[in-house]
Amino acid sequence: MKKDLVYLYDGSFEGLLTCIYEVYYRRDDPKQITSKEDLTFSLVEEYVHIDTEMDKFKKVYESIESKISREFLKTVFYLYLSEDKDSGIIVLNYIRTGYKYGKDAMNYQTNPYIRAANEIYRKVSLERHRFLGLLRFKMLENGILYAIIEPDHNIISILGGHFSQRMSNEYWIIHDVKRSIAVFYNKEQWIIKSFESIGNISFQENELSYQSLWKAYYKHIAIDNRKNIRQKKSYMPTRYWKHLVEEGVQKNGFNKTNLD
Amino acid sequence: MDVINKLQILADAAKYDVSCSSSGSSRSNKRGGLGNAQAAGICHSWSDDGRCISLLKILMSNYCIYDCAYCVNRLSNDLPRATFTPEEIVDITINFYKRNYIEGLFLSSAVVKSPNHTMEMFKKVVMDLREKENFNGYIHIKAIPGADKDLIDSVGKYVDRMSVNIELPTDEGLKMLAPDKNHNAILNPMKNIKNEIVRNKEEKKIFKNTPKYVPAGQTTQLIVGATRDSDYKIINLAEGLYKGYDLKRVYYSAFIPVSQNPLLPRYEKPPLIRENRLYQADWLLRFYGFEAGELLDEKNENFDLLLDPKCDWALRNIHHFPMEINKVDYNLLLRVPGIGVKSALRIVSSRRFGKVTFDDLKKMGVVLKRAKYFITCDGKYFGIKSMDSNQIKKNIIGMDESIYSKQLSMFELQGGVFNEKGSGLSL
Ligand code: SF4
Repeated sequence: MKKDLVYLYDGSFEGLLTCIYEVYYRRDDPKQITSKEDLTFSLVEEYVHIDTEMDKFKKVYESIESKISREFLKTVFYLYLSEDKDSGIIVLNYIRTGYKYGKDAMNYQTNPYIRAANEIYRKVSLERHRFLGLLRFKMLENGILYAIIEPDHNIISILGGHFSQRMSNEYWIIHDVKRSIAVFYNKEQWIIKSFESIGNISFQENELSYQSLWKAYYKHIAIDNRKNIRQKKSYMPTRYWKHLVEEGVQKNGFNKTNLD
Repeated sequence: MDVINKLQILADAAKYDVSCSSSGSSRSNKRGGLGNAQAAGICHSWSDDGRCISLLKILMSNYCIYDCAYCVNRLSNDLPRATFTPEEIVDITINFYKRNYIEGLFLSSAVVKSPNHTMEMFKKVVMDLREKENFNGYIHIKAIPGADKDLIDSVGKYVDRMSVNIELPTDEGLKMLAPDKNHNAILNPMKNIKNEIVRNKEEKKIFKNTPKYVPAGQTTQLIVGATRDSDYKIINLAEGLYKGYDLKRVYYSAFIPVSQNPLLPRYEKPPLIRENRLYQADWLLRFYGFEAGELLDEKNENFDLLLDPKCDWALRNIHHFPMEINKVDYNLLLRVPGIGVKSALRIVSSRRFGKVTFDDLKKMGVVLKRAKYFITCDGKYFGIKSMDSNQIKKNIIGMDESIYSKQLSMFELQGGVFNEKGSGLSL
């Protein structure tokens, strides 16, 4: 029996595009492209390790940008960030379709591969958009604004740009505690680093009073005889409430769940 | 009184103002400043009534010298009162903004002492925010009718959006319920703001550094159901405001009984469905190429509460249907019930790659349960044979309300809230 071919890569975006390069170069037809960490072994699969190579990555990157479009490339990146378990193979099918139809490919709404990719793109982009609003900074004693998030997708890299423009004159940290990574901004530039824990935290003295003001505002802006919790939850799913000042169960200015 | 009590009172007083949009203005951060304005609009939270919270929406004060019957803040009403100092408003705005609670400030007020006095306080707030605090976030100010033109102009230089509430659709309504106001006192400042915006645009063509004047334009709000004015009068007024005054949005607010005044109607509940129909119709005016006169007329003065205005129109004009999805152009697609702006665009772009089938439509977000009566796909028809509008109406009304209200739900009304603007790759 012929085994299903599975490509394994290091989990980086560079690694994923290197896989795409190899698929074309070796004329392979893998059934899965997976990050090594996510692998569950199976006897009916044959595994090939693909080492990340920067010039192969660059070739694919530039060729998508010039032969298809920059927007298309952006979608590929979002697919990668989705961390969907099938994102590797979805990327491969998407790129194959892209090369077939060229510049206009993204608009081919009736094509199943394009649609599958667009759907995931929409999810990631929706989550990013939600976090532009739902992220909450807290002012630490040393004047740094610090935010904790736990998004479904790995969106930290597509949040940094927005906040570096908006809060260009502040020091801030956005910490994805689910993935143990954080964006750090020093009024000049932002970088992503792995980051476990910030250690003991103390807030600036009036941090808690601004939080109380916000909670009071939040409560009083709602119109009682128009209550519609279902609608609120549909826009702002409860899984995101944990780190919201106005919704989470708070203790000493932090949401209780983080202390447990 | 401490700030938190003031905030509770003045947020309570502001919440019936419906407009939550912060979009339509892009302002980039100046070096060393705080914040920018995003054209796409960002919601920072949703309150228990399901509305998006984007701006810090408060009254500066609820002490009013006037006595409008429909308003909680009227002079004769007995309720807790408070006034913020400009410094307090600036401090809360800046600190909320830094913590990413809000996109900016939406400030309005009852008339404290005099219209000019109130505008002067607004001016202090916006000047301090922009000049002292270097704040570049979004600011919407509700101008006070009756204040001097120069004063309104000087505030206009600092804000993104300015609005003047019309409140009641007709002058008779105003005379009865708000004897201190008249339409001219409201329409004049609106005209001035429009003229200033036009003049500013001209100036900007010549002098690049002319500061922006109300870059996001002006809006207004109408109260629905406090007087007997018909839907037809209301959407005609709205159409006139869009065309004649270049308004960006007209907001409709179902009247919520706030007093026992015998001049006011009594409702068990605010007329929310009617409000929703007006929003749907407004949407049709602005984005679907409809005119007020097509949707209602002197004989049909009010919207059918069971049917959305587009469906209603289609059923009254059934001779235009069915339309062939693969042939008719974009403007006609928009007139098909169940097809929205996004799905119409998708249909048009997909047609370039080949025929669009009935199955494809579903995936493009078309609400087939209603669209099917009005379309053919490659010659095939999926609705009921007779094309009888009464029968179709029955079938549609019989459907689950939640499914078919989806097409024109508030979500779509927020227009592009979730369409982020192309941010580059950050690798
Ligand atoms: S002037 Fe405005 S705040 Fe004062 S009573 Fe009339 S509507 Fe209310």
